[in-house]
Amino acid sequence: MLLAAGLVVMAAALVVFHTAYRTAEVMLAGIVVRSATSSGVHVSGGRQTIYFGLGSPTPFGLRMTPECTSAFLLLPLLLIGAGMILLRPAVTRRVASALLVAAAVVVTVNQLRVLTLVGLINWLGTDRGYYWGHTFFGSMVSVFGGAVALILFVWLATRRSRAERRAGEPPRPGSEH
Amino acid sequence: MNYSSLEFVLGFTQALALTMSVAFLTYVCLIVVPYLRHKPVKSGDATAFEWHFLIPCRDEEAVISDTARYLRGTFPRAHLWIIDDDSDDRTAGLVRRLRGRGPGRDEFVHLIQRRRPRARTGKGDALNAGYRSLRRWLGARNGRGGALDPDRIVVVVVDADGRPSPNCLDVCAAEHLFGNPEIGAVQVDVWMSNRNDPPRDARRSWSLGSTLVRMQDLEFRAAIAAIQMSRKHTGTISMGGNGQLTRLSALDSVAGRDKSPWRGSLLEDFELGVHLLTAGWRTGFTVDAHVQQEGLYSVRRFLAQRTRWGQGTMQCARYVRRIWSSRYITTLGAAEMLYYLAQPWMQLIGTIVYPIPFVLLGIRMMRQPEQVWNWITDGAWILFTVYGSFGLLPFIIWGPIYWARCERKGGWLRGVGYGLTYAVYIYSFYITSWRALARLLLGRNGWAKTRRNTERGNLDLVAAET
Repeated sequence: MLLAAGLVVMAAALVVFHTAYRTAEVMLAGIVVRSATSSGVHVSGGRQTIYFGLGSPTPFGLRMTPECTSAFLLLPLLLIGAGMILLRPAVTRRVASALLVAAAVVVTVNQLRVLTLVGLINWLGTDRGYYWGHTFFGSMVSVFGGAVALILFVWLATRRSRAERRAGEPPRPGSEH
Repeated sequence: MNYSSLEFVLGFTQALALTMSVAFLTYVCLIVVPYLRHKPVKSGDATAFEWHFLIPCRDEEAVISDTARYLRGTFPRAHLWIIDDDSDDRTAGLVRRLRGRGPGRDEFVHLIQRRRPRARTGKGDALNAGYRSLRRWLGARNGRGGALDPDRIVVVVVDADGRPSPNCLDVCAAEHLFGNPEIGAVQVDVWMSNRNDPPRDARRSWSLGSTLVRMQDLEFRAAIAAIQMSRKHTGTISMGGNGQLTRLSALDSVAGRDKSPWRGSLLEDFELGVHLLTAGWRTGFTVDAHVQQEGLYSVRRFLAQRTRWGQGTMQCARYVRRIWSSRYITTLGAAEMLYYLAQPWMQLIGTIVYPIPFVLLGIRMMRQPEQVWNWITDGAWILFTVYGSFGLLPFIIWGPIYWARCERKGGWLRGVGYGLTYAVYIYSFYITSWRALARLLLGRNGWAKTRRNTERGNLDLVAAET
């Protein structure tokens, strides 16, 4: 019950403090992009913007807008998780671990989307790279990443534990006859 | 609204729309697989059971005689319990004539007559009246030494225009269905009997009415059948209003003190399934047998029917706690049922959320047309195409599937055409969900009977408002 309330509070906090979340997300993107590129990377937390390709002929800045953040993708997961815990407290631990995994996937996928953009801009140049990265490939990464996160969440949150499988199913009316 | 709050609204609604679209797309991908992999299963022996058809009727003179003759001819050992819900037309008289009089009368045809003010209170009440009559009749027969185990008696609900396939009872007697003592109820596939017939008043071979019927056939035989098959894995196969077969012992177990297995919501068939599942029974579904019913040609009647179904689903939200606290329903099953019950509510959210980015874009286009046009031609059109495809594909896919699996006539392009039309058809639910909500808020819970195609007249309520 307490965890369910905590999840609702977290969901509300994501809405209220989405700027702070986006700042953290762009900082993380800075670490990821730095590890993947040799050219200069600078993160402006206050502007939620990451600059990359510094020192190269194609420097570029990407802003983590409310449309690009993973914050609002986490929101439904948190609320569904809270609902499940309220309705069936016995699944609290399973839902909590499923949420952790799904949230990690959502955050990772968004980082992967940023990395895809960086890679395409480096490869195809500023115009074409951004064009394809921000439209087609970015959307593909979001959709398939979102699907993976959802499947993982549902599977992990609803699967039966080993103990439950060992105990078998409760007797049913037909089998008692 | 300043720029940052605009950005926030846009980001929030886009994320919500993306989540809902991805959830639906994933769901459709998962349900298509078991549907395409299905192979017919060996039938059982119908004579191992006793079968009783319950046929609720209200002003069904147009169809009841043919239905009764068909059922008696196709299933000669089955009993027909025709429940006349105080019809204003000749329904009861036609049934009496069919039954005959004196020593030569047909003992397998039973007429149950309800009278106002206790009649016309809903299909569930009519079915309960049929159940109680059947129970009394069985009690009297048992007293004469004809006792039969209620596990071996199956109650079949069909509409007054229903045509179960001749193999229906044998299929339902199979090992994996009523042959399994844990199975309390079975739902068979539903087909539209008039899927290849244009409306009587149609002047061309194509008409809106015949397309509407085709879409109803596609919906039941492809999309709904796939959903039901996937529910085998979640243990939550639901019951429909036509072609619904329930073991008498299962009905007895959920009937309660007032001997009413069917409850009062507008979706009494789904409600029965919930009661059976939470009582520990399993439910089954098969496409190896089917029941044919008349599809609706009239858009107005179709919208009225779907409003009633949407309102019924909304009413059934009261079962969420019961479902989640049942030890017989797994968490996956409970999640699936919650998803089903959330559908009309998600459609309401969808009608608000989905247009917001477009409204904002429209406003911006009026203010800065050149900038927006450049943005669209610079690549935003790909975004629209991608999200549009993901929004429509889960519906379009059913067209080619239906064409390939159910009605292979004409070229494959016909299947694509079916799919595109189905995508438009499905969006009518966004209208009916709002109508359902309005009725719910106004407390209008009466049952507007969906009139047959041959019937004339308006859609006035024929049941008392509660």
